[in-house]
Amino acid sequence: MKWKTSPRRVIIFIIILVGAGSMILPFLWMLSTSLKEANLVYTIPPQWIPKPVNWQNYKDVWTASNLLTGIKNSSIITIFVLLFSTFTSSMAAFAFSKLTFPFKNVIFIMLLSTMMVPLVVLLVPQFVIYSKIKWIDTLLPMIVPASLCNINVIFFLRQYINGLPKELLDAAKIDGCGYFGAYWRIFLPLCKPAIVANIIMLFMTTWNDYFAPLVFTHSESKQTVQVAIAMLNSHFIQQTNIPLMMAAALIAELPVLILFVLAQKHFTESFAMTGIKG
Amino acid sequence: MRERKNNLKRSESIAGLLFVTPSILYFLVFFLLPIAICIYASFTNWNILSPNRMFVGLRNFTKLFADPKFWKALENTLFMLIPVPIYIIFALLFGYACHKNILGQKVFRAVYYLPFISSVVSLTLIWKWLFNAEYGLVNIFLKGVGVENPPNWLGDPFWTKWMIVLMISWKMIGIISIYYIAALKAVPRTIYEAADIDGASSLQQFFSITLPLITPTTFYLLIVGLIGSLQTFVEIQMFAPDGGRGYGVATIVFYIWQKAFSSSQMGYASATAVVFGLFIFALTAIQFIISRKWVYGGE
Repeated sequence: MKWKTSPRRVIIFIIILVGAGSMILPFLWMLSTSLKEANLVYTIPPQWIPKPVNWQNYKDVWTASNLLTGIKNSSIITIFVLLFSTFTSSMAAFAFSKLTFPFKNVIFIMLLSTMMVPLVVLLVPQFVIYSKIKWIDTLLPMIVPASLCNINVIFFLRQYINGLPKELLDAAKIDGCGYFGAYWRIFLPLCKPAIVANIIMLFMTTWNDYFAPLVFTHSESKQTVQVAIAMLNSHFIQQTNIPLMMAAALIAELPVLILFVLAQKHFTESFAMTGIKG
Repeated sequence: MRERKNNLKRSESIAGLLFVTPSILYFLVFFLLPIAICIYASFTNWNILSPNRMFVGLRNFTKLFADPKFWKALENTLFMLIPVPIYIIFALLFGYACHKNILGQKVFRAVYYLPFISSVVSLTLIWKWLFNAEYGLVNIFLKGVGVENPPNWLGDPFWTKWMIVLMISWKMIGIISIYYIAALKAVPRTIYEAADIDGASSLQQFFSITLPLITPTTFYLLIVGLIGSLQTFVEIQMFAPDGGRGYGVATIVFYIWQKAFSSSQMGYASATAVVFGLFIFALTAIQFIISRKWVYGGE
């Protein structure tokens, strides 16, 4: 590795180091606070390493908040969305990339146009539709639309499949595969790297979603993990059990964090690939 | 033979249409229908609590433009554009450093992505604690370096807004840098070699080669950033659940959300959404027009 030292490089390095500090300190502080007894939170100067280390918050949080229900509901939503959306979107991407059918381009442009309209325009009417079909206060508004189509994933996978040779389709047909067979047995397995990258993104956005469950659900039994931890947010900090809140926030972060550590390379790739073509 | 070919073509058409059916369904039911309902509702006094729905013409719109809260929310919404240039500049700096193989770039990159992968709800909970006026780490630090009256971040709308600007910028730097790292990789080496021969310094090269050549990426990020920033909501709802003192923190999306789901005025909220949608659309269009002046269009 070439590493030349010049004053400008040193300055940039220091700026980036300070930036990195600002990125990681809040999380360390969250961890530290979550391990404190509630009354130790207000000591000045602040304690970075809690004395004593108190794991009690991680036990109490399950009874003091709706976290468990939240994790259950968010898991259901995430699993359904990942499975169905990967299936429907990759199938559509395959069709857009390799098949000829009427109105192909019109349909594709229609789908792209959905990216132009701000989400909030759809929110109120979606609420109206969901209340008509009795979907309010169920998990369906978070599952069904997202499972039918994700234009980002379609766009991304279409780009990827464009790079695969068309001859694969012809070969599959000669071997007696139908179009679905060609998709399922040939193209889907070949898309694996791109799909892995997308699953990470989808997991992150689905797990972290707050706006939709906030608007479309009311009862405690239907809260998602983000809504459950947001409930711990009180307007008056004095009434809040801060260590408990930090413990809950940290637990809610864990699945995404673990996935990120395991698959950081794919994560970066998925962004880079979609970004260039954006 | 020809018939066989036609049959093949037909079965391909059917397969293709079948494969995109879920997408079409999504487009019709969850996109086109809501838009139609939104436009229709904006001309009615639709209230989820009362059964009679009446056509009221433009009354929602005139009421909206006469509401000082709307204008305040619009002002706050535009304020939320401030993070966009901030994170773009820092992301470019960071991306450039990574591109030049800065020491420890792998670790740095992982750390810089950390805020982005976290949920906004978790982040706001941490920030509320960090920026607590009395016991928050930030104000303890500020007092430590001699600031006598550090701001009441969560109580004063002015400071709450700046805190949100800081938070969004902080959150986005890492992820935006990925786009720049990819863009910088795509700049052909030969151009730099030619510039080296001509004796251009690395700073000159950055400003007259790199920066102009990555303008398409910058433009894309500006458009996406603008559309995203104008829709800031979760931060507002978490930091100032009532919109802040004097509605000083509320954004338009927050305003729409309050009108629709706290006071059940679906018609009025729809009218606001229509106006806001057109506003975003117009701003994006203006950006596209201006872009011809500064975005590099290829050979």
